[in-house]
Amino acid sequence: MGAVGHYFSSIVMGFWNLVIGLSVTTKYFLRMKTNTQQYPEERLPLPERSRSMIKLIYDGEKDQFNCVACMMCAKACPNSCIKLEGVRQPDGKRRVTTFKLDFSTCIFCGYCVEACGFDALTFVSEEYENSVYQRGSLLQDEQAMKWVRPAHLTPKTEEPAKVAAPAGATAGA
Amino acid sequence: MLSGENIVKSVSDLLHQLYAMVGLSAFKGVLDPIVAAHVMFGFISVFVMFLVWMERKVSAHMQSRIGPNRVGIFGLLQTVADAIKLTIKEDIKPVHRDKIPYYIAPIIAFVATFAGMVVIPFDKGMVVQDLNIGLLYIIAITSFTVIAILSAGWSSNNKFALLGGFRSAAQIVSYEVPLVLSLVPVIMMTGTLRLGGIVEYQSQNHWFVLYQFIAFFIFITSATAEANRAPFDIPEAESELIGGFHTEYSGVKFAMFFLGEYIAVIVSSAVAVTVFLGGWLPPFAFLAFVPGFIWFMIKLLLVIYLVMAFRWTFPRLRVDQLMDFGWKVLIPVAILNILVTGFCVLFFGKGV
Repeated sequence: MGAVGHYFSSIVMGFWNLVIGLSVTTKYFLRMKTNTQQYPEERLPLPERSRSMIKLIYDGEKDQFNCVACMMCAKACPNSCIKLEGVRQPDGKRRVTTFKLDFSTCIFCGYCVEACGFDALTFVSEEYENSVYQRGSLLQDEQAMKWVRPAHLTPKTEEPAKVAAPAGATAGA
Repeated sequence: MLSGENIVKSVSDLLHQLYAMVGLSAFKGVLDPIVAAHVMFGFISVFVMFLVWMERKVSAHMQSRIGPNRVGIFGLLQTVADAIKLTIKEDIKPVHRDKIPYYIAPIIAFVATFAGMVVIPFDKGMVVQDLNIGLLYIIAITSFTVIAILSAGWSSNNKFALLGGFRSAAQIVSYEVPLVLSLVPVIMMTGTLRLGGIVEYQSQNHWFVLYQFIAFFIFITSATAEANRAPFDIPEAESELIGGFHTEYSGVKFAMFFLGEYIAVIVSSAVAVTVFLGGWLPPFAFLAFVPGFIWFMIKLLLVIYLVMAFRWTFPRLRVDQLMDFGWKVLIPVAILNILVTGFCVLFFGKGV
């Protein structure tokens, strides 16, 4: 009798489990909520620190790039895709004149951004459609990479000593 | 009043006038079935296209996706686009195929299931031919698919296709038994094999799903297995056997198999609706003003939704589990059901 009872109870339990599974899928079906992003029409806002594109920070107030052409980024680059030149200005500070980054060889490792001591290079999140029709278009110069930092993205400096310094002033220090 | 019987009558009157105009009244008996077959084929093709779209939408929403939404409104024309793509595709054939079975298999797969539509009553009098052995006819004719699948597997000259064909033969032969056994209690109670007669019996009593819900579930399960649909899709198990028996088929021939599978779903769901859910009858008497074929289609879509929900909910069975389930669970329960129903009919009379 025990075997027969087990047989029927296992059938009923199996059936009940299937009903539970069906109720879950039907619940999801009737909810009609979708998580899909319809990409060309809807765009996902990326996190602020996502490494979508490398940009050269331009200081709008002083009308100059933050870059002082110290070559640290070019030295840090494992693929040697950064080429830059700078000249000494009349005020005694070096300023970048040409900055070229070849994105066809760049691997977005971020070493240049890390190596930069003057808050001149940064990753931006908003520009992530980086495909081009010609390979040559991937070689960007300082005008293509010019980027003015919006106010809400003030640098969050990691060293406590630099917290007091205003944004942009760090470049001249 | 709009009802299936009146529609059929007016259309056939119109047709007969048309025959008389062309002077073909003498061939009425030949022409009527041809017209009926074409009407049925048109209905079935459009309905299958709708079902493919519906299946993709159902599965999408179960997985929090959107599904097809690019071609046409709500992606309704997606299946039309797919059908056009399939028909103009190159027909790739294996070199060492067994030619005759290779060509015949998709035709049988389509025809065997399509022929089952003959006896489905969409409404009172809205049926191609209400055979007095309708239920037996459907069971017999839809079993022909196993020949198609087996010969497709054999003639493709591909080990995976052959394995799929063998599995399918084992599965269909196993699940044919509970399928028939689950219909036996209904036949015992109604005393007729005519599908129209079964519905008329239900119009005087209650729907059979109230008396025979065990038989209903056995029928739905075995019908799903008969149609080679997940969770019983081991003949075409994509993760194990590439595509199973239709691995080597492409283009129109593949479309025929695909069509056959969906028609099998339609036919078995339609039988389930007719036998267990009261066919064209409205659920309550005061809803009788809605035409019967609309009730039939609503019930049909609900049952097909159930079959689709099976597919997107349950994991695929292993071959031995499949056989265990068929022979150790479905068949004994179906036989017990027959036994209990037999006693009920014997002691309480026909009406239960």
